[in-house]
Amino acid sequence: MKSRQPKKHVHRQLDVSFDRRGGLRRRDWLKVAGASGIGVPGIGWMNQLAGYAPKLRQQNQACILLWMQGGPSQFETFSPQPTNASGGETKAISTAVPGTQIAEHLPQTAKIMDQLCLIRSMQSKEGSHPRATHLMQTGFLPTASVKYPAFGAHVAQQLGDPDAELPDFVTIGRRRGNAGGGFLGVDYDPFKISNPEEIPDNTQLTTTEARYRRRLGLLDQLQSDYEATGGEEEVADQRKLYAKSSRMILSKDMAAFDIQQESSQTRAAYGNSSFGKGCLLARRLVETGVSFVEVSLGNWDTHQDNFNRSKDLCEQMDQPFAQLIRDLQQRDMLERTLVLWMGEFGRTPRVNGRGGRDHFPRAFNVALAGSGVQGGQVIGKTTAGGGDVADDPVKVNDLLRTVCHSLKIDADQENMSAAGRPIRVVDDGQVVEKVFG
Amino acid sequence: MNYRQLVSQLLLAVYCFFCVPGLVGIASGQSLPHEAAAKIDQLLASETDSKTSTPVKSVDDETFLRRVFIDLLGEPPTTDDVLAFALNSEKNKRSQLVKQLLADESYGRNWARYWRDVILYRRSDERGLLSARSLESYLTEHFNKNTSWNEIATAFVTARGDVKENGATAIIMAQQGQPEDTVAEMSRVLLGIQIQCAQCHDHPTDRWTREQFHQLAAFFPRVAVRPKRNQDIPSFEVVGSDTTVETRRKSNNRYRGTPEHRMPDLENPEKQGKIMQPIFFVTGDEVPFGTLDADRRAQLASWMTGSNNPWFAKAFVNRIWAELTGEGFYDPVDDLGPGRACSAPQTLDYLAAAFRDHQHDVKWLFETILSTEAYQRESRRRRNVEEVPHQANCNQRLRADQLFSSLVTVLQMPDSITASTRQRSSRFSPRNGFNSVFGFDPSTRRGDVSGSIPQALLMMNSPQIGQYVLARPDRMLGRLLNEVSDDRQAIRELYVQVLSRQPTDKELATCLNYRRNVGDRSEAFEDILWSLINTAEFLHRK
Repeated sequence: MKSRQPKKHVHRQLDVSFDRRGGLRRRDWLKVAGASGIGVPGIGWMNQLAGYAPKLRQQNQACILLWMQGGPSQFETFSPQPTNASGGETKAISTAVPGTQIAEHLPQTAKIMDQLCLIRSMQSKEGSHPRATHLMQTGFLPTASVKYPAFGAHVAQQLGDPDAELPDFVTIGRRRGNAGGGFLGVDYDPFKISNPEEIPDNTQLTTTEARYRRRLGLLDQLQSDYEATGGEEEVADQRKLYAKSSRMILSKDMAAFDIQQESSQTRAAYGNSSFGKGCLLARRLVETGVSFVEVSLGNWDTHQDNFNRSKDLCEQMDQPFAQLIRDLQQRDMLERTLVLWMGEFGRTPRVNGRGGRDHFPRAFNVALAGSGVQGGQVIGKTTAGGGDVADDPVKVNDLLRTVCHSLKIDADQENMSAAGRPIRVVDDGQVVEKVFG
Repeated sequence: MNYRQLVSQLLLAVYCFFCVPGLVGIASGQSLPHEAAAKIDQLLASETDSKTSTPVKSVDDETFLRRVFIDLLGEPPTTDDVLAFALNSEKNKRSQLVKQLLADESYGRNWARYWRDVILYRRSDERGLLSARSLESYLTEHFNKNTSWNEIATAFVTARGDVKENGATAIIMAQQGQPEDTVAEMSRVLLGIQIQCAQCHDHPTDRWTREQFHQLAAFFPRVAVRPKRNQDIPSFEVVGSDTTVETRRKSNNRYRGTPEHRMPDLENPEKQGKIMQPIFFVTGDEVPFGTLDADRRAQLASWMTGSNNPWFAKAFVNRIWAELTGEGFYDPVDDLGPGRACSAPQTLDYLAAAFRDHQHDVKWLFETILSTEAYQRESRRRRNVEEVPHQANCNQRLRADQLFSSLVTVLQMPDSITASTRQRSSRFSPRNGFNSVFGFDPSTRRGDVSGSIPQALLMMNSPQIGQYVLARPDRMLGRLLNEVSDDRQAIRELYVQVLSRQPTDKELATCLNYRRNVGDRSEAFEDILWSLINTAEFLHRK
């Protein structure tokens, strides 16, 4: 089994630690220096340190998934077809990238198209929400016997800092689908925030901090007799868990969850929608060192009244999406943060009798930005009318492998499922090299 | 305790002594529970005889009481229950209590919730949750009526109808009627055999082949789960359609069955695959192609639950034994089968055979296991593999429902606290919200289940629970402090209320000391109560 040994190795041998933002602490730099000076004579310690540079970059890496729940229509978002019957009433507009047009409902996104890599040839076979959601979020079809981890759990496991005070995997908004830590365990379950404007559930003390600390002290004392009479393991686990939980809620990093701490201009720039607030929160969390943040928007399941509903959803999405990319760029975070826009499938070229579009996994869109992704390009083509992929088909495992490549995590790392079967992060698939230019 | 309380306790004790329900009439069949229990202890001792280890001693009454309440009813005893049991001087008071609890309505509810989780935690489709409530009430009713386990199992295999009305549809609904997933779950849940590994290749460690797996799936091709239209509340129904037309599917949605099952061709997945005859892998019994859906499933149910299939009784007995003693004969509890190691095969064989001879009488099984010395021993931590099995009971983490019910009992809070405005539907009731944080799949090795940060945060900081920790006059703690002015006595009563036991001298001293340092009486006791519900002891049963 390939494991995370290299990182552990660094930690154990040299006793260094990375802080939340991925930097080595100053004193640790000197320890590293000392250790290499003694251990490997003849090689300058500067050179030794240089060897850690890739590690540091990896530590900095993060991913924001903008999850479009319900299956957004490609025709009303990134692949308008104004000249074809299947395009319906939606018009196309020009973007920052000459020759690339997107739907009229995304004027702000059009301005940052030079940062986006658009895939118009996503393909899967899953046309039901739960199965398709599970597939996109884990890379596997659901089965009763194996609990597959969400992709965010893999990212948290490989990139997360075990000593971090905040969780490594956070989801924002009502989330459909129940994939979490899966067989990686509860440590990698997402920390769920249902409303980005509220402080997360149960993270605020019900008493003063002094009284809370006093209570923890009493609790600790009252556990000792149970501990001594057969409960030693339960008490030890409980102590560890309570220490970790307390460290989290008393951490100054908890301020990352409070978007009110941003200036009114910054908040305004993300727009007024709940999704916009979620995007701003995602940026704050990544800035604080969280590895994977998922922000949901939906319901894009427009079986009826597709054109009005898609327009409305685009309005909720457009400004925040564009602002997120710009903001990350301005803060020099975009090169280490992958932003991924996707839903579980696309929608049918045919407009049904109720003005809606139905489920369509055969050809749909995904957009990526940041973290090595070459912006301003379109990958893949569909046949006229969007009924099928004509060029460069991308399967779900290809996409996830590409995401791993971008985040510099190991797609072939094997983890043990509960049944004792080793399972790779991504099964098969190939990196879509074009994404990186 | 004040005089008023003592009197009421004494009265209750007397009442319990004379009015224990269910003393007669349970023992049909060959052996009375205590006779079977003795035989089991004897067999177990002979199978686990060892020079390096002797079984630990029998548990005290206090610990036994909380254990058996949580195991049977899914909630701890109240202070009244504790006193009544303590004051009962009958020699057979433990077996009296077991009989009394088996007749309590909470028994069926507790075990219904256990099986609801067994089935729904493995749902391959979120919509499986639509059957959660009907499944829970279906099983509650039948466990309380003591319907035999083979009848319940038969209902699961042969179920049809609206998933919100017929809880027996749950295994099929949880897998959206996909034949492979459905039979894999039927086999795992009802037989304890993990045949699904043979879905794609011959099972590497068991004797089951890929062919046999798909022959089992061949009992279910005509089953489908389809949305129910034309009604206000959306639902699904399990249907069995005896169509003769085979339609090729464009997507993986499955709203209609097919006449026969086909085993996919792994080399050429686009091809139609080989048509499979329904054959039950354990006994080799079969039905011909073309058999009607109702007939093939009824046949399968009778073979699965019949006397030629030893795994049916073993799987149930193994699960219940594991849940009650903390250690199954097979581990994990849903992976039995010829190629697996059994920690005490003769004991399991005997108990499974006796269960079958008693017509799969579930209450008989509970009473029998609860009467064994093996169950009534002190608890120890989960043993390491190299240690001798079945020497002690085991500290068990409470399941989410048991923990929530414990809070309800101990803090005297209503089962449904007013949900906040955000939480409109019953899916977001406090109990369900609590379960979504504390729930776990009961089939996973209990040693692999670990606590999470959201769990700790909920217990420490939940405003809903916090309200019931307050010493307000209308709260449990406020009432207790009002009635008991002596601190020492109040601490004692609080311990009984929360942990169903007296504090140790050291704990009493710690609490008194804390009380003195804090000064404010209410504040000190709120902190003590908060600490007690946050202990590892409260989250487990010994």
